Amino acid sequence: MAVPLIFKTIEESGISSWIRDSPSFFAYWFILSFHALGMGLLVGASVVVDLRVLGVARELPLSPLKGLYRIIWTGFWIQVASGLLLLVAYPTKALTNPDFYLKLLLIALAVVFMQRLRKRVFDDSSLSEPEMMSKGKALAMWSLVCWAGAVTAGRLLAYTYYYLKYDYRG
Amino acid sequence: MNLAHIHLLLNHVPIIGTLITLGVFLVAVIAGHDDMKQVSLALFSLIAILAIPTYVSGSGAQQALNESSKVSMSVIEAHQGAALLAFIFMEITGAVSLAGLLRFSRTVKNPWTSGPARVTLLAVLLLACATSGLMAVAGNTGGNIRHPEILSGQEATSSIGAVGVELMMTVHHFVIDSSMWVWPILEDLHFLGLILLLGSIGVLNLRILGFLKQLPIAPLHRFIPWGIAGFAVNVITGFLFYLGMPDFYILNIVFQLKIFTIVLAGTTLLVFYCTSAFRSLEHIGPGEDAPPFAKFIAASSIVLWLAIIVLGRYIPFGEVT
Repeated sequence: MAVPLIFKTIEESGISSWIRDSPSFFAYWFILSFHALGMGLLVGASVVVDLRVLGVARELPLSPLKGLYRIIWTGFWIQVASGLLLLVAYPTKALTNPDFYLKLLLIALAVVFMQRLRKRVFDDSSLSEPEMMSKGKALAMWSLVCWAGAVTAGRLLAYTYYYLKYDYRG
Repeated sequence: MNLAHIHLLLNHVPIIGTLITLGVFLVAVIAGHDDMKQVSLALFSLIAILAIPTYVSGSGAQQALNESSKVSMSVIEAHQGAALLAFIFMEITGAVSLAGLLRFSRTVKNPWTSGPARVTLLAVLLLACATSGLMAVAGNTGGNIRHPEILSGQEATSSIGAVGVELMMTVHHFVIDSSMWVWPILEDLHFLGLILLLGSIGVLNLRILGFLKQLPIAPLHRFIPWGIAGFAVNVITGFLFYLGMPDFYILNIVFQLKIFTIVLAGTTLLVFYCTSAFRSLEHIGPGEDAPPFAKFIAASSIVLWLAIIVLGRYIPFGEVT
């Protein structure tokens, strides 16, 4: 399958080559650092919510943890912004690798599970705490599985690509 | 100043520190003094954290030596091997101490005489004895490097050192040569450990700072063991990276900064959240404010852990070529 020419155009743009090749402190590693921080916020806060729903720290009142969704969404948007910049730097590398689509799928699923957890468990004030936990159990489990999978798929992107750039095979 | 200075400065901490703490610990156990038991366990964990820069700076000291002197390779190798074993035992002692500290310092009723507590204390005692012995060998073989006048023939090599060198080679081979997937899997575990650590420590710190104020503080400590587990995963995987590619890390300034920051953050975590020294915090109920000092510690802790993540990402940037 031919690699779309648009990837080459993107790679030849100033911003793409700057992120990729600049020795500046604020280029590639800076963006990658934000991607790691965003992951820590997004997945870290999700994991705390999930663990509590699954029964860790039972003495802790559950409903105020809804406040962690602000951190989850902050992390999410940091990931979107930094992820898009990384995609601009290496469009061919990411978009020709099936693992990249697997990662996006797992993130989408994890976010859907987290949002369902919010709607069904945290937004329903008629529920008692044991009801919240039993209603959220499966969602919390699946969100943990998808987050772990998304992080793993993301980490493996560095090892599974076919093309590093439009003109280079990996 | 180079890494040899830092190594010489730090290397007495695990050797003498372990011995002194072992003494205090013995007195505590014999006298049945619970606060002293707690302090001893905290000290073992603290020394385990400080042993990290001690071990790592040793490789840098070796490089400084290689450039400038005629010390025999076998003397250095004996020290390296013994130091590796001493380091591993120190980390295990620290981990078991920390587990005991978490479990038994935080209960209200005196738990130190319970069955599980006795087993933990006995395990720490045995591990600390083994560590002290290995530290003595590491210290002795290390002294040989700079004090050839105390060397008497066969002492130049040590059988314990040889075991350590063998182990170092095996681990290096496993990480680098056994499969191309070992390194990526270790990296993945390192990321998952980071998430556990940041999530659990972060939520407690945010509450102390006044975010999520409807939460009482005391039950948030239930998340700390998960954070500690993440930290343990990262110390192990991080050490495997180091043994896999020591030359990539030793002189890398970003790596050195990261280790320094880990010592700061790890010490904060240990003293503040794992002992009962700051127990007043636990009476803070829903809607109440934490004292300014606690807020200061919580803010520093968050900043330090985020800095560690960023520094970790920048290690390739600091590569010495």
